[in-house]
Amino acid sequence: MKKKVISMMLAGAMVLSMTACGNSGNSSDAGSAASTGGDAAAEAPATEAPAAEAGQETEAPAAAEGPVELVVTTTFAGEDSNAQNYKDAVKAWEAETGNTVVDTSATADETFKTRVATDFETGSEPDVLFFFNGADSNSFIEAGKVVSIDEIRAEYPDYASNMNEDLITASLVDNKKYAVPANGYWEAMFVNTEVLDAAGVAMPGADYTMDQFKADCEKIKAAGYAPIAAALGNIPHYWWEFAIFNNQSPANHLEIPESAADENGQSWVAGMNDIKELYELGYFPENTLSATDDETFAMFTEGKAAFLIDGSWKVGGIVSSCQSDPNDPATLDTAKLDKFDVTYVPGKGSRKATDLVGGLSSGYFITRKAWDDPAKRAAAVSFVEYLTSDEMVPKFAQHGASALKNAPEVDASEFNSLQIKAMNMMAGTTSLTGAVQDLFAGDCRVSTFDGMPEIVTGRVAAEDAVAEGLEAYQNQ
Amino acid sequence: MGANIYRNKKPALVFLLPAFLFMVVFLYYPFFKNILNSFMHLKQLGASATEFNTPWYTNYEEMLHDPNVWTSVKNTIIMMLVTLIGQVGIAIILALMVDNISRGKQFFRTVFFFPIVISATALGLMFNLIFLRDKGMVNQILEILGKQNLTDWKAEGIALVTMMAPVMWQYVGFYFVILVTGLNNISEELYEAARIDGATALQRVRYISVPLLHNVICTCSVLAVTGALKVFDLPWVMFPKGMPLKSTFLTGTYMYYQTMETKNVDYGAALAVLIVVLGVILAKVVNAIFREKDY
Repeated sequence: MKKKVISMMLAGAMVLSMTACGNSGNSSDAGSAASTGGDAAAEAPATEAPAAEAGQETEAPAAAEGPVELVVTTTFAGEDSNAQNYKDAVKAWEAETGNTVVDTSATADETFKTRVATDFETGSEPDVLFFFNGADSNSFIEAGKVVSIDEIRAEYPDYASNMNEDLITASLVDNKKYAVPANGYWEAMFVNTEVLDAAGVAMPGADYTMDQFKADCEKIKAAGYAPIAAALGNIPHYWWEFAIFNNQSPANHLEIPESAADENGQSWVAGMNDIKELYELGYFPENTLSATDDETFAMFTEGKAAFLIDGSWKVGGIVSSCQSDPNDPATLDTAKLDKFDVTYVPGKGSRKATDLVGGLSSGYFITRKAWDDPAKRAAAVSFVEYLTSDEMVPKFAQHGASALKNAPEVDASEFNSLQIKAMNMMAGTTSLTGAVQDLFAGDCRVSTFDGMPEIVTGRVAAEDAVAEGLEAYQNQ
Repeated sequence: MGANIYRNKKPALVFLLPAFLFMVVFLYYPFFKNILNSFMHLKQLGASATEFNTPWYTNYEEMLHDPNVWTSVKNTIIMMLVTLIGQVGIAIILALMVDNISRGKQFFRTVFFFPIVISATALGLMFNLIFLRDKGMVNQILEILGKQNLTDWKAEGIALVTMMAPVMWQYVGFYFVILVTGLNNISEELYEAARIDGATALQRVRYISVPLLHNVICTCSVLAVTGALKVFDLPWVMFPKGMPLKSTFLTGTYMYYQTMETKNVDYGAALAVLIVVLGVILAKVVNAIFREKDY
């Protein structure tokens, strides 16, 4: 009998220990919640004092004692130009406040977006995230899992007050503003001038047309180089965006067609067929359908391909490729970097080359979970305010746009040659339009993104692929 | 009480309970929930499905018309054959050769087993570099040998071979170790008697080693075939999204693609059911073919 009892106890202990292990992920929350049980609240270190106002949507919880651990996820990782800036800023904020950041940042790709969406669905979302403010954020905004700027301002009136209100993008879900923008982006065409020189092609300018581009591609191809560095089987996004844009104008680019048959739908179909034409002309790398984006980017930086359409974040990747140690800016080979340039994407029809894609498509969200946590509310606000301060934003914005009301003068002496070329290029833009793919997120993209190889090889008609995507969009 | 405690089996049941609960919570509940989800409308991971598809068997109907399903099933069956012939077959040859050498047995055991302990993701990245078009190890060697053009080892016609070769290579050592252990269990006296009777080395292998290894080979074959159904990580790292042109999908990678990449979660659940059904059928077939013998 005694042994039975002991065995029962042992089995019970095993079950309990398993249960305890299962809860370990929330231990910090539980601990912090427990620490705020009393009414007498001490403020989290170095955070702004909450301004108690009558009539606010939620009652301010008692702030926590001691340092706070914030889970933050951003897209400042990998080859992003701001990966190092972000690390430095986090370190400085930690030193200033005594709080710590658990950083789960990753490169902004579809896998990252899925991870974030899944984290929200399963209740394991971060406290603060720097994420896309377009359709990609719809699911967690619809679920009420992030806090609006207005709600935060009810308690912290100065929150994001340094930002130009008109430049803070409203959610597609409820037209409320949630994300505080830090730095804008642009998409343009990077050029390896070494390849252009070898092929006898002049550097494209502000009046570059698609016909001139094709003529240049022909010369580059004849010289034995790949004209365009792009992995159509992996990341066709940039060509997708500009090919559609080239059959529209800045005025209607952000309108999603009702169907593939209407006028706007036909411009999407024409865009897909334009990419197909370039593929058939042999302007993409031979292995464009089987290569990864990293491989084609390497072709560009190693002087085997001439043109690369990508975003402002790629400046950092190109600079890194010119450093003998990618993590040490002191090892930059400036002569090598000088061979890279950035210019406008060739225009067509109503879109001038200088009409670029760009804007403020991302921002800092504070999650409802962090806001409702007495230990984390003030720290989360402090973190976002630090990262979006007048001093910090210009460091991140560099050659791109920002939403600051009073943007300080840029000191060009701090920038490398490619950043200066980017700033000069941006100075000549005639318009900056958002990316329509940011509004066309989720499974509706699959037929034309993942299906791009089938479109360019003619296995699927562009019209059918566009129609399939639009149908999925209408069903969302 | 006394010796009766050894006859009383109830305490053992108590000790089995935690493991049983673990299996129920983390295996059987998700398994049955997945079957249910395959009939529901579900577009977000982690979200609760609230309504059935119309009609409820939509996903299974779609599977019949989805060419990628057939590609993935076909590729998985090819993978099984490659696994069976490539992994178990090569492992038998290696085991017999190593069993016949007097020195260095332990060395070869370690060398052949080593790929198993490396993560499949790391191996995938390594083979990505080896098969890189511009210029991976293989293309560099071919260039040294005089080949003029670069070969795209991930091009449509050859991608399946490029994907299966590393998978095959990785697991040869696993079956090799099992087979070598099986060979060690064969009595040395049998070989000695055969030697006295004038049997050659090949005859000793043909009439002693292989017959007495039959049951071990059967076990390896069952493991290899069922294991091929679960191969995921290495192919996904080397050929994400079934690249190129969705020609390299396996059942596992296609299920992941539908669930994680296209957010078609309920369809992914239906594909998971298909994998289970395929697994049960193939395990039955393999068990029937490779039935163990009693000696």
